[in-house]
Amino acid sequence: MSGKNMEEKVEQATDRKNISLPMSRVRLIMKSSPDVSCINQDALFLTTKATELFVQHLALSSYKNGSGKETNTLSYSDLANAAEESETFQFLTDILPKKILAREYLKSLEEMEKVDDNL
Amino acid sequence: MDGDSTTDTTQLGITGEYMTGGTYVLQTQDDDGDESFNDHEDGNGSKDHFREQDIYLPIANVARIMKNAIPQTGKIAKDAKECVQECVSEFISFITSEASERCHQEKPGQLPAGLITADGQQQNVMVYTTSYQQIPGIQQIQFS
Repeated sequence: MSGKNMEEKVEQATDRKNISLPMSRVRLIMKSSPDVSCINQDALFLTTKATELFVQHLALSSYKNGSGKETNTLSYSDLANAAEESETFQFLTDILPKKILAREYLKSLEEMEKVDDNL
Repeated sequence: MDGDSTTDTTQLGITGEYMTGGTYVLQTQDDDGDESFNDHEDGNGSKDHFREQDIYLPIANVARIMKNAIPQTGKIAKDAKECVQECVSEFISFITSEASERCHQEKPGQLPAGLITADGQQQNVMVYTTSYQQIPGIQQIQFS
């Protein structure tokens, strides 16, 4: 990658007009953190930009991980798998639990009760 | 859908047959997405009108970014979009709390209220690069 190409990318990344997320909303979410009162404008922009990149990264990683099954669709389970398998997305495991069918869950509940009865 | 169950999964965009293992995914959303979020903001700007965990970025924006990231032929499930919407809020909170923590560590006592100043911004950038080194765009932001 040539130096000039990198420069262009940096410029594009930091161009304030080049974001597609509402900064006011990002700011609200940031302020919901404890011990945060004022937010520097540059920090806000940086966070918004990074969030955008995060969405791209999450979507693409999850999609690549799942598309081997030729589903061509990014599904919830692709995201849950990405959270579990990738170190980068580890912090998402709490909000991306894997889903199981209700009847399987109820079955495993019954089995747990049986074990308790046998004790 | 299934009106008798205690989990209202219709708002999550998933069918009633699915539940998570271990914990129930229960979400009593006050609004359908957050298109109505800004509409409820009135003059007093009180935070009491919404709960912290309900602050999301607009799903249309999030979905658009996702769509542009994956190959053009790909599709995105509705529950995947909603899920990423939540992940995004989690991400922002995560970054913010990390940066806030470092901010306090670097200059103890000087910024008791957790002010993220220009110095704090540098801390902010450091957090990005340590956690997300794989995202080349963020590395470039650091060097700019």
